[in-house]
Parts: sequence; C-alpha cells; structure tokens
Amino acid sequence: MQLDDTHPPTSVKGLVFDVQRFSLHDGPGIRTTVFFKGCPLRCRWCQNPESLRSRPEVAFYGENCQACFRCEAECPHGAIRRTPGRRVDFDGCDGCGRCVRVCPHEGLRQVGAWWSAEALVAEVLKDRDFFVDGGGVTLSGGEPFAQSPFLEKFLPSLKAAGLHVTVQTCGHFSWNHVAPLVPLVDLIYFDLKHMDPDAHACCTGAHNRRILENFTRLVATGARIEPRMPVIPGSNDDRANIRATARWLAQNDIETIRCLPYHNLGEAKGRRIGIKLEPLTVTDAVETAMARVQAAFAHEGIHAVIDD
Amino acid sequence: MLSSTTEDRNETRMTDRVTRLKAAVQESAPGICTERALIWTRYHRHPANRRKPAAIQMAEALQRVLTQKSIAIYPDELIVGNFTAKRVGGSLYPELHGLPMLEDLFKFPTRKTNPLQITRREQWDLLKIIPFWSRRWLGYRTYPTLGRRLRFILHQLRGEYYLINESGGIAHLAPDYARLINDGTDVIAAEARRRQAEAEPGSERAHFYAAVRIIAESLARFGERYARRAETMAARESDSVRRAELKAIAAVCRRVPRQPAASFHEALQAVFLAQIALNLESLDNAICPGRMDQYLFPFYARDLEAGILTPARARELVAAFCIKMAEIVPVFSERLTRIHGGMFNGQVVTVGGVDADGRDAVNDLSHLFLDVMDALRMRQPNFHARLHDGSPKTYRDRINAILAAGSNSPALYNDEIIVETMCRQGYRLEDARDYTGVGCVEPVSQGRSFASTDAALVNVPILLELALNEGRRFGTRCRTGVPTPPVSAMRAMADVRRAFEAQLEFQLTRLVDDLHAVERANRLYHPTPLTSMLLDGCLENGACSTAGGARYNFSGIQCVGPADAGDALFAIEQAVFRDRKISLTALFGQLRDDWPDPEMRSYFLRLPKFGNDDPAVDGWTRYVVERFNHILARFRNTRGGAYTTGLYSVTAHQYFGELTGALPHGRQQGQAFASGIAPVNGMDRQGPTALINSVNRLDFTQTANGINFNIKLDPFTLRGKTGRAGLNGLVQTYFRRGGMQMQVNVLDPEMLIEARDHPERHPHLLVRVSGYSAYFNDLTPAMQEEIIQRSCLAHG
Repeated sequence: MQLDDTHPPTSVKGLVFDVQRFSLHDGPGIRTTVFFKGCPLRCRWCQNPESLRSRPEVAFYGENCQACFRCEAECPHGAIRRTPGRRVDFDGCDGCGRCVRVCPHEGLRQVGAWWSAEALVAEVLKDRDFFVDGGGVTLSGGEPFAQSPFLEKFLPSLKAAGLHVTVQTCGHFSWNHVAPLVPLVDLIYFDLKHMDPDAHACCTGAHNRRILENFTRLVATGARIEPRMPVIPGSNDDRANIRATARWLAQNDIETIRCLPYHNLGEAKGRRIGIKLEPLTVTDAVETAMARVQAAFAHEGIHAVIDD
Repeated sequence: MLSSTTEDRNETRMTDRVTRLKAAVQESAPGICTERALIWTRYHRHPANRRKPAAIQMAEALQRVLTQKSIAIYPDELIVGNFTAKRVGGSLYPELHGLPMLEDLFKFPTRKTNPLQITRREQWDLLKIIPFWSRRWLGYRTYPTLGRRLRFILHQLRGEYYLINESGGIAHLAPDYARLINDGTDVIAAEARRRQAEAEPGSERAHFYAAVRIIAESLARFGERYARRAETMAARESDSVRRAELKAIAAVCRRVPRQPAASFHEALQAVFLAQIALNLESLDNAICPGRMDQYLFPFYARDLEAGILTPARARELVAAFCIKMAEIVPVFSERLTRIHGGMFNGQVVTVGGVDADGRDAVNDLSHLFLDVMDALRMRQPNFHARLHDGSPKTYRDRINAILAAGSNSPALYNDEIIVETMCRQGYRLEDARDYTGVGCVEPVSQGRSFASTDAALVNVPILLELALNEGRRFGTRCRTGVPTPPVSAMRAMADVRRAFEAQLEFQLTRLVDDLHAVERANRLYHPTPLTSMLLDGCLENGACSTAGGARYNFSGIQCVGPADAGDALFAIEQAVFRDRKISLTALFGQLRDDWPDPEMRSYFLRLPKFGNDDPAVDGWTRYVVERFNHILARFRNTRGGAYTTGLYSVTAHQYFGELTGALPHGRQQGQAFASGIAPVNGMDRQGPTALINSVNRLDFTQTANGINFNIKLDPFTLRGKTGRAGLNGLVQTYFRRGGMQMQVNVLDPEMLIEARDHPERHPHLLVRVSGYSAYFNDLTPAMQEEIIQRSCLAHG
C-alpha cells in the first residue's frame, strides 16, 4: 500500500466510500461512521469488499440496468461492455464516474469519492445533536489509518468540535505516521485476526508482525483500546489461536475482547465491482462457534463480549 | 406515591379471564346495530317531539336509546356495558353521516375491506328509515336554499379541494371524567336545576339546562339497568364465584354513575358507561377517556391503602376496561373508508406527562396502563405517552422496550412544545399542562376543550395544479379556483408563489364559509347536552358545546400533503428558475399530459426532496405549512374559537392523491401523497437522523391541532440494548429540538419480506452491522432471508 499513489497531487483529500448516519454498532451511542477506502489487507471474509482498492470505482447494479447504453457513449476508456449481466470492464475502468452521472436508472453507482476535510467535518456535524449518550464519529473502512495525511487535517477539526472519535483499525499501518494522531482518538477498535504469522498471512494476505508491534506501541501510549476478533469458523476459532490471543492480551494487561460473529453480507457487494475474494470454508455454525470461543476465552481468563 | 416492585412492572402476562375476554371480542365478527337508528327515528317521527326545542329532542331521543337498547353481561366480564346489541358492532347515526353510509347497505356483509355483519331484516329496517331522514340529515340541512345545498353536497361527495367532517357530527373531545367520577350525575343534575331556575323560562339557556337534567338522569338509570340485570343473573347463577362477581357488579352499577365513585372499580365502570352514552349521542369518533392514569390514581391509591385492591386485580380491571373499548367499530361506507381509514374510533388513553404545576406525573398506573397495552395489543384504545425533560428513566425505558419489540403504540408526545403551543392559542398554563391527545394526534385540554379537531381536511398540493393553470384543473375549462396569471407570464419564483398563495387563500375562504354553515347546523339541529355536561364551561355559560359553551373552542383543519407541495415548489425553483433545465411552459405541458417524457420525469424525481436534511428543500415544506397557518389564522369559527392547523391525514393523503394531477416533483397523476408530515414515499434516503433533522426544521408552534410524524424502523436495527438506546437517542433529540409528536413504526418481519420481494417499495431500508455498510436491497436473497429470520426473533 503506497499512500502517495492514492492521493491526488493538488491537495490532501480523503477517499471515502460511505458516510453512514445512525450507526448503532460502531462504538457507544448514535454515531456517524465514515468508511475510508483502501486497505492493506485482503481478508477472505471481508464484509466491505468495495473498501479494498484505494481508488474510486464504479459498481454495477444489474437489477436496475435497462440496457440503454448511455454509459457506453460517455465512457472515455471504452470500459463498458454489452455482455448480458455485465456492464463494466473493471480492469479498464478508472472510476471517473462519468457513466454514473448519465445513467438514468441507478444501474451504475460511484464507489468512493474524494472529500476535503472541511466537507467531511460538515457532513458528520449534521448529526451532532444525536451524539448524546457518548455517541460521535467512527472512522472505519478499509483502513482509516492508511490515510494519515488526511487524518492530520480531519481529526483536529473533529476534536475542535468536541466530538467523540472512534477508529476501527486492522493495525497494519506505519507507526511513524499514526503516532501523532493517537491523542486525537478517544477509542480504538483494534482487530486481532490471527496470532500465527503464517495463518495470518494465509487469511489476510499479510503477516501480523507489524500489527502486533503497533498493538504494543498503542497500548504503551495509554490510549483506550478495545481489541476485536472477527470469529471465522474454521479460520481462527481453534483452541490454539484463542489461547495465543488470550496470552497476548494478558501480556498487554487487557482482560476483555469483543468477538464479532462472521457473516457473509459482503459477498454481493464484491461482485458488483468485480472483486472475488479467495473462497472461504466455514466449518461450523456461527452461533456454535461464538459460544465455543467465548468459553475458550473464559477458560484463559479473558472476558469475551459478543457483539450483535 | 406508592412504590412498585419490578415484578409488578414486568408482569405483562394476563389472567385467564382476560385471555378469554380478549378472545371473545377478537373472534366476534363486527356487525351493524340498528337499535340507535330505529329508536332515534321512532322518537322523531312524532311531530310533537319535533316541535320541542332541539336540546330537549336530543336529550329525550338519547334517553329513549339508553332505556330501550338491549343490554347484555357476557361471561367473565367485570366491567359491563354495551355500545351496541352485538358483541362488536357499530351504530348508525341517520341524522348525521349515517344516511350517506347506507350506499353500502346491501354490500356491508360481503365487501372486502372491513365487512360488517347485518341481517336481511336489519337491512330492511334501515331501508325503511331512509325516506324520513332524506331531508332531515345534517348535510342536507347545512344550507337553507336548494342551490347552495346541492352545491355543498355534490362538492362534498367528490371533495377534491377539501372534505368537511363536521357535517357528520363533531365529537372529538376528552370529557371531564374526573368530574363524573368525583361528583356523579346527581350532583351535576342538581347544578343544572339550580342554574335553570335562574335562567329565563323558554330561553335556549333554560332548554339547555333542562336537557342536561334529562340526560344526567338517563345516564344514571342506564347504570341501574345493568345493576338489575346483574342481580337477575346472580340469582340464576349456579357457580358461586361468578355469582359473587355478578353481585359485585350489581352493587357497583347501583351506585355509579349516579353517585361519586367509591372505588377504583366503580370509577372505571362509571367512565365506561359514560363512554357508551357519549358515543351514542354524537358521532362515534374520538370520544377519549384521556389521562386515565391521572384521574384514576387517587382511587387506585385509596383502594390499595385500604387493602381492597391489589395491583394484579387493578391490572385485570384495566384490561377488562380496555377490551370493552374494542367492542365498538365505526360504520363507514367504502367511500368514507378511503378518507378515514379502517376500523378506527380514535378513543385515546394518555399516560405520563406533567401535572398542573409542571412536575412529573408518572405514577404506578401509568406503568400499569403501558403493561396492559403491551399485553393486549388490540385495535382500541389508542395509547399515547407524554414525555418531557424530566420523565423518569424507568418510564422511558419501558416505552422504548415496548416500541423496539414491535408494538406501534404508544405514540409519543412532547410536553414542552405542546404546552407552549397551547398557551400561545390562549390556554391557561395549568389547563395546557392537562392536555391529552384526541382522535389521532390532536392535543386538547382534558374536560375543557371543544376543539372539533377533525373539522376538515384540505388538499394542498392540488392548489399548485390550479396555480399553474389559471385556477383550473389540468384538462378542464371550468374554473374552480381563483384566476391567476398563465405560466407564460410567470417570470420568477415569486410569481409562482403568489399564484399558489392566491389559490390557497381562495379555497380556505370557501372552506370557512362552508364550515360556518355546518357549525350553525350542528348548533341548530344537533346540540349535545351530554357532551356539554362533561365539558367545563358549558353549565356555567348556559350554552351547549356546539354553541360555544365550553371553556376552550377551536376547529382543527388538516393541511394534507405539505411535503408534496413543498417538494413540487422546490422543483420549480430549482429546475425552472435556477438551473434553467426547462421552461415553466414546457414543464406545464409535462404536468398536463402526465409526464410524456420519462427522462424528464426521472430528472425531476432525482431533485432533492424533503426528509434528507437539505435546508433548501425542507424550507419549502415549512413555507407551505406557514402560509396555510397564516391564512387560516385570520378566521374565527362561530363558537368564537380559532381555526388551527393540523398535519395529519389518516388516509386522506391517498384519497386526495388519487384526485390530483401530476406535480413537478416527479409525481404522476393519481399517486398518493405523503402521510402527515412524512416525506414523499420512499424519498427519505439518508436514514432516520437526516429525516428528523428535516422534520425539526418545521415550527410546530404553528400546528396547534397536532402532527403525525411516523418514523419507520426495522426490528433488526432496533435489536438488543443498543437498538433501544439508539431509539431513545432519536426521540430525545427530536423532542429537545422542538418536535411535537412521533409514532415509531417498527416494520414487522412481513414487511421485510415485502421489501425482499418488492424492493421498489422499501428502497432505503437500513442494515446496521458493526463496521458494515449496505442497504437491505444490496443484499443477496439468502442474506435478506437471514436478516428476516433475525428480525422475527427480535420481533418477539
């Protein structure tokens, strides 16, 4: 992941693919979640495949397409196909979105837009009256910390407005870039996907050394960190991994972990932008796996909270 | 205040008796009862009776009904009384709106929507009374001359610009039941006698007092009929437990409503008997017991203290009462159902809120009523919950839990803004604090207001059609509005606004003329002594409520389709005068021919719409409501009260929509308008917070007749503690910023299934999972299935 490639040269902007208001499950209270686009990992279970590439894309909604082919005439790259059930040649498309603007049927949609810090702050402030009971803004993704130059502008404005900020991170980021941002964040949800380096690489496409280093460094800053683990039956819910995770947490003086049940809600979205993740074998019913993982953590002295 | 244990609160399970009572009512097919119509007719057929003063006629006719109607005490009942001769039924009011309803006479039992049982014999009986009433019903008597009379009736049959409900009777009140149970009818009759002695004999005032005396005595005797029936049944009852119950019922009905209620049971019984009589006197719509947790609490506390009542027994009595309230249905023709919705009598029970001094008034009975509501979940009564800054957390939590679990009740009301609005309308502060909703959403002061809250509904978007076509409907030559300049002469948005305002003023002026005639007809031909006896001010002033006797007088006029009108005006401003996408003349052509160019329509559909937190477009909806209220505020009704603006539409938004041509926000001819203050269907795309931000842009101190803000959420989003907290945050923020009312509609799983099968009907349903971004429609069928399954669990 080369940050420099993703940013337009003129000014520092953030690449965001969704701003979701009234989010209830991304931190305390009512929140606005900003989904940043671009991720260093390629987890097989990714629930937001449209977050992976760090450039704007065009998604195809075949069920809405009336095959009027206005998009074809508009595309400067010849990236529109007439194949039934397919419209966008995802390799040829650069996500400029000209086709989206002429489509009268919402058959094409833009995924990802460049936001200035001011515009994004204004957007999240629209719901500030609802940020009672601890609510606020959550940066999710993708990997928000991958856009640290933008966050250097964005986060101080959020703090100036007095908003509670949560960041959901995969932990794979450059510490030097992120360290100055940590004091501007109130709560960090830090994903621990697998403790074994090879298994981690196999599931997510990257080794976990950097992630674990970052975890330790973050803990050392005294920031409020809540580790999370997406429980993927057959991938990371085995006894050995739970034990290793629990020991890691104990070493860092942490007693609680949030466990997120696996779901495959991302699948359909991937297809719309031509992303097919490595197939995943889910070995067990999710509820069973969650109960087992919770018990295994308890056995190791770690309290596992199951997110709904 | 009494303490209550948590077990008490969580006890929503009902006794076997209540389960049986509920089943008996729910399993009874609703029917039409002819008794009131026939007794009323028999009384009025005597020319000697017709020569009596109107108030006396009313009192005597109602007296005959209460004496002669059949009565029954059904198995298991604790609270007794019958609205009709059928277990679940409705009466006909031939002198009011009953006659036009008879267009369905022969299809009542077989029609698809809301069939009503009626026998051949009963149909024949009703047929025979038509000739007598054909020139005596209120709509016919509204205007004295034939020409105006015909115009009025024909206009009301179609009702494209406005519909006047008052021509079918007024009702819509919350009686002073506190007085009834604390004083009893004898005390009220004595007051009437005393005041009558001071009145000039033969005056309208004297007749009014005489009528009150007749009806007060009749109400007392109505109770005594049940006492006798219960005694007879007790004598024959073999089961000793039931025999004791029947004897207790007899003892209760011997005392009330004649005497002051001496127990919680007596108080409930007195209220229910009066409830029946009031429904039989005038229109059976929106006779509201109101703040029962307040006026019943002293009885509850006293009985508990004395050891003659337990919370469990109180819950059983309240449940028995609520089930009885569901034994009434309105007799509507299909035509009227299109405007007023289904089986809706609008009997409101309100809990919570503040007392006269502004202190929180939630008590154990408030919780008890919520429990009963949640356990029964029946069609009637309608439950309203008042909230204010200081509402206790336990009370809020209970309401949030009930709503998140999928009950669409209670509707929520904001004390701060409603009390302020009522004070601006001239209510004294302590009277405003004692408000309850009546009917759908309309705030009135309990026992003090005669507010005719459902006087009329106005089709506002259609006025834009007139404004763009020189005062004519599209495709007609006949001018039904006021002449305004042709579109070719409109150079700026201000010209469009002026034309719209001219049409609005013209129709509201016509409406008020008609309303004045209807108000006079009600006063002359359908005074309501029983209603007046239970409204503060009428006895003192010696005037019937229909003649302005009540302490507070209003008429509520509903502004239907404000968001459609607002979005349409915004679309003109944006597309014609700002973006210059199309000329006004060309746009006019599109509308007249119902959007011949689908691409042009698609462009207009995609323009910003109310409900998405966009100040520019939201401002137009605000403008429509403000102009409506501004013009309306110039008029006074014949009872000396103001006309107030309401923003609710029941089902009239569909009816008016069907009659209205294409409009500039991309709406096609005949499409339904948005309901109440909701955004145009499917047009709120930014979720509930954005929607609430838009709605909060309106100034609800201008809508004194209440608003209906329906917010739809899915049970999946509201799941668990997190979901309930989220709901609480929505409500609190909305109310803190001046929101007036909110009804939380949790979609049931069937609606999610509908969303799966017909995505176009629910395009913007949310899916909320941690760190996940999507709409329901983006999911594959299998995943949608999973959400539906989880919703079924959450729905409970």
